[in-house]
Amino acid sequence: MRIEKCYFCSGPVYPGHGMMFVRNDCKVFRFCKSKCHKNFKKKRNPRKTRWTKAFRKAAGKELTVDNSLEFEKRRNIPLKYQRELWNKTVEAMKKVEEIKQKRQARFIMNRLKKGKQLEKEEAISEVKKNIHLIKAPHAGKAKKLEEKMVEKLQEDVEMGDD
Amino acid sequence: MIAICLIYFCISSNCGKKTLPEAMGKSKQTGNHKSDKKKNIAKTWKTKRRTKDLDQIHNDMKPGNAAKLLRQEVDYDVTGCAQHYCLHCARYFVDLKTMKEHFKTKVHKKRLKQLREEPYTQAEAERAAGMGSYIPPKTIEVQTQPVEEDMS
Repeated sequence: MRIEKCYFCSGPVYPGHGMMFVRNDCKVFRFCKSKCHKNFKKKRNPRKTRWTKAFRKAAGKELTVDNSLEFEKRRNIPLKYQRELWNKTVEAMKKVEEIKQKRQARFIMNRLKKGKQLEKEEAISEVKKNIHLIKAPHAGKAKKLEEKMVEKLQEDVEMGDD
Repeated sequence: MIAICLIYFCISSNCGKKTLPEAMGKSKQTGNHKSDKKKNIAKTWKTKRRTKDLDQIHNDMKPGNAAKLLRQEVDYDVTGCAQHYCLHCARYFVDLKTMKEHFKTKVHKKRLKQLREEPYTQAEAERAAGMGSYIPPKTIEVQTQPVEEDMS
C-alpha cells in the first residue's frame, strides 16, 4: 500500500481517499479531493493554478533544487523486513524532514527579504518625490529676503550719513 | 462670475476632447449568451464528453502519429468524412475552407501557445511534492500544420 501524490495539487492521497480517473488510453490520474478532480476536468493547468505545489515550484516561491529533496523516492525494490533497518530508516526520515523544513523556511525568509528592501527603496523615492509636502519649497526664503533688505537699508543709511 | 464660467467651460471642453485609446486589445467577439456551447458549461466538463488533453495532443504531434491523423480514411460518421483534421485542436472540419478559417482564430492560436510548453505529468506533480528537485519544462516550437494545396 502506498500514499500516492495527487496529480493536480501534489498533496498526499491516502488509501481509500480521493478518487482515481483512468483515461481511455489507460493513463491513471489520482486526485486527493473533489476540488482537484473538478479542476482537472476543467482542463486547468496545475502550473498556472496558484494554489498548487506545481505552481509554487514553477514560480520560484519555494525551495526547488536541494539535496534534501532527493531522499523521498519511489523505490520499486522489495525488501525483506529487518528490524534494525526499519528503525534506522525511521530515524533518518525524521532527521531529513527536520533539515528539509529548516531549509525551506530559510529559503522563504530570504525570498521575502527582497520585498522589504524594495519597500524601503520605494518609501525613500516617494519622500524624495513629494518633499514639497513636508517642507514648503519657499520656506524660510521670505525671512532671508527681509534680512537682506534690512541689511541693505542699513548700508544705505550709513552711506547717506557719510 | 463670467471668468469662472469661462474657466469651467474650458475644463469641460477639455474633458470632452480627451479620447480613449482606440479598442486596445479588445476582442472582436460581442455577446456570449447566445452561444450554444456556453449554455451548459457543466455538461462540457463531464468525463463522458471529455476531449483530448494537451499531453495526448503532444503525443499526436510526433511525426508518425501526425501523419496517420492527417491522412485518415474516409469515415462517414465523422465531420467532413475525417478529411480535415486540426492536429493541435483535435477537431474535424467540414471542408478545407473552414479549416483554413479556423487556423486564423484565437482559439487555434491560443492552443498553439499552450502546446509550446512540455505537458504536465504525474512525475512533475511528485517532484513538486518533494520527491526530487524541480526540472523546468522545455519549450518547443509549434506551428500550424501545412495545408495540402492539391485542390485539383
